[in-house]
Amino acid sequence: MTVRIERVVVALDAVSENRAAIDTAVRLASRWHARLHGVFVEDDDLLRLANLPFARQVSLGVGVETLTPQQAERQLRAFAEQARRDIAAAARQQNVDWSFDVVRGAAAAGITAAAATDFIVAGTATRPIGGHFRIECRWWSAIAPATSSFLLSSRMWDRHGAVVALVHDREPAAERLLDAAAQLAEAGGGRLTVICPSELAEDEAFVAWLGERLAGYSVPVEIDLAPAEPGEVIGRIIDLDCRLLAITANDAHAKPEQLRNLIARAACDVVVIR
Amino acid sequence: MADRADQGFKSGEPLPAALLHRRSTPEELPFKLSSELADAPAMIGQDRAAEAVEFALRIRRKGYNVYALGPPGTGRHSLVQELLRRRAAAESTAPDLCYVNNFADPQRPRQLDLPAGQGAGFAAAMKRLIEELRISLPAAFERDEYRARREVLDQQMKTHSEEGFGGLQQRAEAKGIALIRTPMGLALAPQRDGKVMSPDDFQALPEEERKRFQTDLETAQGELEAVMRQVPQWEREHRDAVRGLNRDTTGFAVAGLVGEPRNTYADLPDLLDYLDAVERDIKENVDDFLPQPQQAPEPGGPPIPPAAQAAVEDMRYRRYQVNVIVDNGGRQGAPVVYEDNPTYQNLVGRVEHLARFGALITDFNLIQAGALHRANGGYLILDAERLIAGGYGWAALKRGLQSEEIRIESIEQALSLASTVTLQPEPIALDVKVVLVGSPLLYYLLSQHDEDFAELFKIAADFDDRVARSTDATMLYARAIATIVRRDHLRAFDRDAVARVIEHAARLAEDSERLSTSMRAIHELLQEADQLAADAAKEVVGATEVQGALDAQVRRSDRIYRRMQEEIARRTIRIENSGEVVGQINGLSVISLGALAFGNPTRITAQVRMGRGEVVDIEREVQLGGPLHSKGVLILSGFLGGRFGATRPLSLHASLVFEQSYGGVDGDSASAAELFALLSALAEVPIKQCFAVTGSVDQHGVIQAIGGINEKIEGFFDVCRAGGLTGEQGIIFPASNVKHLMLRADVVAATAEGKFRIIPMETIDQGLQLLTGVATAITDGKIAARLDGFAAKAAALARAASGSTL
Repeated sequence: MTVRIERVVVALDAVSENRAAIDTAVRLASRWHARLHGVFVEDDDLLRLANLPFARQVSLGVGVETLTPQQAERQLRAFAEQARRDIAAAARQQNVDWSFDVVRGAAAAGITAAAATDFIVAGTATRPIGGHFRIECRWWSAIAPATSSFLLSSRMWDRHGAVVALVHDREPAAERLLDAAAQLAEAGGGRLTVICPSELAEDEAFVAWLGERLAGYSVPVEIDLAPAEPGEVIGRIIDLDCRLLAITANDAHAKPEQLRNLIARAACDVVVIR
Repeated sequence: MADRADQGFKSGEPLPAALLHRRSTPEELPFKLSSELADAPAMIGQDRAAEAVEFALRIRRKGYNVYALGPPGTGRHSLVQELLRRRAAAESTAPDLCYVNNFADPQRPRQLDLPAGQGAGFAAAMKRLIEELRISLPAAFERDEYRARREVLDQQMKTHSEEGFGGLQQRAEAKGIALIRTPMGLALAPQRDGKVMSPDDFQALPEEERKRFQTDLETAQGELEAVMRQVPQWEREHRDAVRGLNRDTTGFAVAGLVGEPRNTYADLPDLLDYLDAVERDIKENVDDFLPQPQQAPEPGGPPIPPAAQAAVEDMRYRRYQVNVIVDNGGRQGAPVVYEDNPTYQNLVGRVEHLARFGALITDFNLIQAGALHRANGGYLILDAERLIAGGYGWAALKRGLQSEEIRIESIEQALSLASTVTLQPEPIALDVKVVLVGSPLLYYLLSQHDEDFAELFKIAADFDDRVARSTDATMLYARAIATIVRRDHLRAFDRDAVARVIEHAARLAEDSERLSTSMRAIHELLQEADQLAADAAKEVVGATEVQGALDAQVRRSDRIYRRMQEEIARRTIRIENSGEVVGQINGLSVISLGALAFGNPTRITAQVRMGRGEVVDIEREVQLGGPLHSKGVLILSGFLGGRFGATRPLSLHASLVFEQSYGGVDGDSASAAELFALLSALAEVPIKQCFAVTGSVDQHGVIQAIGGINEKIEGFFDVCRAGGLTGEQGIIFPASNVKHLMLRADVVAATAEGKFRIIPMETIDQGLQLLTGVATAITDGKIAARLDGFAAKAAALARAASGSTL
C-alpha cells in the first residue's frame, strides 16, 4: 500500500466467527509493524429487541427463554471480554501492540469510522445454528461505506495458495491494489498472480509499469489473462488455487452480492482496496 | 580260623596280594585301542532307570511324570535327555502358540493355536493387513465416491436447516419480522427499514398493527421453536447416516484385504473367528486409520517431536498385532525343553509392562512364554532341587499339571495379594510330560510330605551308582570310555589305560566286584590323562598317563593328609606301630575333605576301675561323639555284659577315648578296636601296636563290615612306611570287607614282598588273639578274675559302709 498502515482494525461481535479475522489481522499487524486494534460492536438490534416486552430467544441448549435487557447486556459483555482475551493472546504470540474498544451502534458506523491509515479485517460468517444455518454476517453491509481497505477473512491464516489481483488498468487505484497485493503475498510467503485483460498483458508499457510497481517486493509474480467471459473469472480464480483475492473498490466483483458469490464458490479471502 | 577257601583266603591269615586289587584281564578287554570299540548303546548299569523312563514315555495318562533320582554324575540328565529326544523325534511337532487381542474384553487376551511354523506368518499377514489398511482406508475416504456420498448427506442436513430456518426467515420477513442471531441462539423481532423496532416505535404503532405483529410473532415463535426442536434429530440422523456410510466404505475396503488371510487360514475356525472380530473392530474404529489432526503444542511449550507423535499413532494399531509366544517353525518332532532356572515366572510365563508417560502399561503383546509353553506338546526337564528352592515354581508346576492348563498370572495375583486390574490371558491347555532330576533324599522327602507329589509323579527312575563287574559289564564300560574319548576328541586309550580306568571305577565304587556309574569322575580322569599324554607328546594314552592323572588328583588335594602324616612321623600325633601296650590300640577312621578321602590312624585307649558297670564314651560325654558312635559303644557294652555279666555283677567303670582327637567322631567302624582296647585293659594283657584295627562288632562279638576300607589301610600303611616297614605291621579288618579291597599298587607290592600284612577277621576272639598272641580262654579267664575282684571289693565296701551306719 502506498499509504503506510498504522492500525489493523479487526471487527468483532457476539455472533460472528471471529477467530479467522483475528488470526489474519494479527499476522498483518505483525508484518506491517502496525498496532492491532479490536473493535467489538454491540448490536443495537439485539438491545432494541431485548427491550421489547415479548422478547424471547430460542437456543439448542436451553430451548426458549425470555430475553431481558440485562441478559442481553450480560451476554454482550461476556462475548466482548472473550474477544478482548483472544485479541490479547494473538497479539502476545505475534508480539504486536494492541488495543481494544467496545462500541455500540450499527456495525457500519462502528467500522467505517476507521482512519485512512487503518486496514480493516472482518469475518464473513456468523456462527451456525445446528451446524449449518447461518444468519447473514453484518460485515457485508460495512463494505460499501467503508473508507479504508477492507479484508474479508473466511478462514484461518494459510500460507498455501496464491494472492490473485484483478487489474484492469494503470490508474492510481490499480497501483494501490498492486502494492497491497504484493505486500499480502510477501506476508504469506506465496506468489502473486495478476489477472488482467489480454490487451494489457500484451502491452509492453503495462508490463514495464507492473515491473516498476513490484520492484521492491521479493515475491514471484506471474501474469494471467482474464477470461473473455466475465462470469468465468471465478472459475479461473479457483484454478489458480487462490487464497486471497485483491480487488479495487470500483471492481464489479466488489459489490456485496458478487463478493458473497465469489467467496462462497472460491472459498478464499477477499481484500477490497480503496 | 574260618575257612574262606571259596573266596581265596582264610580269616586270621594274611591275604594274598591277588586279593588286594582286582585287575582287569586281557580276556575281559580283547582289543588294543579304544578306537576299535563301538559306542556304548546307553548309560551303563541304568537299565532300571531307563526302563522306568521309557515306560513313562509310553503311558499317556495324567500324573505319569517322572522323578529321576540318583547321585550326581550318574548320567541322570544325559540318559533322560537322550531317551526323550529319541522319542520326541518320532512325534508330531507341537503347534505355535499365539496371543491376540480380545476385542470384547481386552483384559482377557485370546489364545490361538496355529500349525507349527505358521504363527510368524500369521503375525506378518496381520501386520501387512494393517499397513495396507492405513493406506487404503484414507484413500477410500478421499475418493470421489465417498466425498460425493458424504456431500449428499451433508447437503441433506444443510437442506433441513435451510428449509427449516430459511423458510421461517422468509415467511417472517414477509410479515415484517426479522430473524435475529443472538449470542446464544435465534430470536424474532418486529422490524422497520431493516432495523428492529425500539419499544417506543412499537408502542407508537396503531393498536391493530401492534396486535397483528404480536399474533404473527407468536406464530413465528412457535414455528421457530418447532424447527429448533428438530435440529437434534436432524443431527442424529446425519451422524447415523455418516456412520453408516463410513461403515460401508470401511467394510468394502476391509473385506477385500481381509480376504487374503481368510483364504490362507480357511481351515482354522478360531482364526476365522478372530478375523471376523478384527473386521468388526476396524469398522467401529475407522477413525484410527484416518489422518488425525496434528496435536498442537502448549502455548510457549516445545514442539512435540515427530517420533513421539508416531509412537502415539502406532499405539492405535497394537491391538491388531499377533504375539507369537512359541514358534515351533523349523522344529522336527515334539519339543524337549530343559529349564535350568525354574522360577515361577520362567515356568508359567509373565506379562511385562512398559513405562509410558509416567505410568506402567501393558497389553497382550507383552505376554512372554514360560518353559511350560515351550514344552507344551512335548517334554520338560527340570532340576528338582532348583525347582523347590526357586520360589513358588513348584506350586505353579503342580497347579499346571493338576489343572492341565497354563495360566499366566503374576505371583501377586496367584497369592491374591494384588487388587490392581491387569491382564488375565486365556489359559492354554497343557499337554506335557515333566521329568524332575534330583537327589534321592528330596524324592523321599517329597513322597513323605507332599500329598500332590505321588499323584503327579507316579514314576521313579532310580539311577544306581554302581553296576556289577561282570565280563559283559566290563566290556560295556570299555565302550563307554571309548565313546567319551571319541566324543571329546581325546587321544585313543590303549588297553592297559582302559583297564586302569576300569579299576579306578571299581575303586570309586569301593568294591572290587562293582564299577561306579558316576561317569563324571571317569570323564575328568580321561581328559586329564589325555592332557598328560599331550604333555609327553604321545599319540596314545597309556596306563602310565592314567596313573599319573590319578596321582596328580591326589597330590592336588592331599595337603592336609600330608600334614597329618608329617605330624605323626614327628610324633606330634602319637601313633605307635611297634611294641605292646595294655589298653591301647590303633584305630582307623576316614576323613573326607573336598575331592579327597583319606585314612586317619587314631590311638584309642581304655581305662578300667572298680565301678557300677558303666562304660563311658568320653567322646559322647563332651558331645564330640555322634549317635552311631554311641551306639557302637553301647553294643560293645552289651557284648561285655553278655560275655562276662551273666553270672556276676559288672562292678567296673571303663572309659574309652580317641586320643588327640579334637573334632567330632561318628560311625561304629571303630567299635571292634574299642572293644579290643577294653578287653586288653580288663585282662591287663598288652596289644601289639604294630597293628591297626577297623571293624564294627555286634553284641555276640561277630565282626561286621565297615566303609572306607581302602583309605584306612593306605593311611596306616603310609604311617608305617614313613617309619620303615618291619614286616610285622599290618591291618586287621572285617573278612566281609575283603571284596571291597582295591588298594594302591605300592601297598599291594609291599604286601606281596611280605613287608606289610593285611589280615581279615571274623570274630572278636579271633582278632584279640591276633592282637595279643594270647589264647581267648586265657584272656577271658583274666577278665573274669578281674571282674570278680572288682565285685568282691565293691561288696566289701558296701558292707563296710552299711556296717558303719548302724
